[in-house]
Amino acid sequence: MKTDIHPNRGTGRGTLFALYAVLIAYALITLMPFIWMLVTSFKEARDVFKLPPSFVPTKLFTDEPFANYTEIWTQRDFVIFFRNSAFVSFMAAIGQVFATSLAGYAFARLDLPGKNWLFALVLVTAFVPVEVTIIPEFLIMRGLGWIDTFLPLIVPSFLVGAFGTFMLREYFGSLPKDYGDAAYVDGATPFQIFWKVYLPLAQPALVSIFVIAFINNWDELLRPLLFLNSDELKTVPLGLMSFVSQYEASWTLLMAGSVISTLPLIVIYMLTQRYVLQGFVGGGVKG
Amino acid sequence: MRSNRKIRITALLFLAPTIIGLLVFRLIPIGWSFALSFYDWKIFDTPQFVGLGNYAHIFTSPTAHKVFLNSAYFSAIYVPGSIALALVLAVLLNNGLRSSAFFRGAFFLPYITSTVAVTLAWRWIFSTKFGLLNNALDWVGVDNPPAWLADPMWALPAVALVSIWKDVGFYMILLLAGLQTIDPTLYEAARVDGAKPVQRFFKITVPMLSRSLFFVLILALVRSTQTFEITYALTNGGPNRASTTLAFYVYQNAFVEFEMGYAAALSYIMCFILGLLTLTNFYFRKRWVHED
Repeated sequence: MKTDIHPNRGTGRGTLFALYAVLIAYALITLMPFIWMLVTSFKEARDVFKLPPSFVPTKLFTDEPFANYTEIWTQRDFVIFFRNSAFVSFMAAIGQVFATSLAGYAFARLDLPGKNWLFALVLVTAFVPVEVTIIPEFLIMRGLGWIDTFLPLIVPSFLVGAFGTFMLREYFGSLPKDYGDAAYVDGATPFQIFWKVYLPLAQPALVSIFVIAFINNWDELLRPLLFLNSDELKTVPLGLMSFVSQYEASWTLLMAGSVISTLPLIVIYMLTQRYVLQGFVGGGVKG
Repeated sequence: MRSNRKIRITALLFLAPTIIGLLVFRLIPIGWSFALSFYDWKIFDTPQFVGLGNYAHIFTSPTAHKVFLNSAYFSAIYVPGSIALALVLAVLLNNGLRSSAFFRGAFFLPYITSTVAVTLAWRWIFSTKFGLLNNALDWVGVDNPPAWLADPMWALPAVALVSIWKDVGFYMILLLAGLQTIDPTLYEAARVDGAKPVQRFFKITVPMLSRSLFFVLILALVRSTQTFEITYALTNGGPNRASTTLAFYVYQNAFVEFEMGYAAALSYIMCFILGLLTLTNFYFRKRWVHED
């Protein structure tokens, strides 16, 4: 007898057809903004306001198919925003790996009186909405003289991260204790046991923390908006928003910029999909 | 003998960044913000102690009332909408078909892509005259489609729709993980007993998935109160504050008007409401969530 265990399977050709119809329809809705973004970025400016809207990327049939991209990249300083976002996101992601691997390991494996209280505090305070903490955070950054530098976007990531700490505490806790004990017998210090034995084993978890932190920081709008003023420090989301106010109608350029800002995340996601999905499902919370 | 002192010192060093970060970026701001909420302070002036004045002002201000209603409306669309859609998609994808991986990847894509970029694409799609949406509606025969982002009635639902579109893949992934833990023989037994697909869904899938559903409910609830990027890039809270929710109103008061004390009071009310909603849900948890 045919095993027929899945709830949606084996109920006939009609059901399968309906299933695909729904999935394809929603996939179209999901992907439409991306498709429309891509098509518009390859249009001539004058074709944008044609009715009815067309899906023909007219620019592709001219001598300069990538003209919208080259214009926004070089003449509108997008290269600078891109570099800023890449730098800030990379540093913040390194910071999260640094802070949360140390904390996660200590919470899982090292004895310190009161550490469970500390861990609970890290988790509970992570649920306080950013709206509550952002005003004092702004005042602290202003007091430190860090406004209009990258420091407010990077330094906090080197200190604390609830999501990564939680995830790595679980991860280190699940690794066998024997490895550490064996290294201890061979005379390794607690730091060496962490660095040489356990940290290499946590590589998959570290990759997902790095990637998720990179994505979150690339996406961040609120803090760059508050902490950065100079044009030459703007990140990609800020740069995109300033285009909106300056050239409201130049949708071809704006969509080219949107494609450029989306592409790195899609590439990173595709390369590390396994780690990212595991991280999101395992940790459950973003940020 | 293992030297405990050495381990403690290592632990303290390892936890030092966390302790500093917790103090400087969590605990101090939480307390400071609470203190600020009792002051009238425009950032460049001297703070004036006003007691509960800010809170009193919030409860009597028509603008604040409008913002509270907007927030409730937003959550009322976003929370059930995103969970129902995520549940449908998760169930449809939990079928062992090879193509599921493609759809799963596609549905998750909006969640990890640049919010501002995709929101701008939506802004262009919602455009009244030249937008893709209204031209599509026109094509299927809808007369006088709404102006969406420029229409006070439709701006907030538009923000909610984009938010659902963005997050639904994430909830779907969490529910899929839950679905995969359900014992397939339950369905087989139900089928043998003659249960219809709808019955199987409500009698097996929903109860067996209730723990994941509860988790997703809490996440969606929290997220529905924290609307910033999408609102900022889509409507900037307009027209005439029609799409301003509480989180966005805190931002506007703090960093556009620089009314730090008033904004802090608003943020505390927001935190209080969120806490209350979360606790209420935990209270009702045992009524519908099945523990193994």
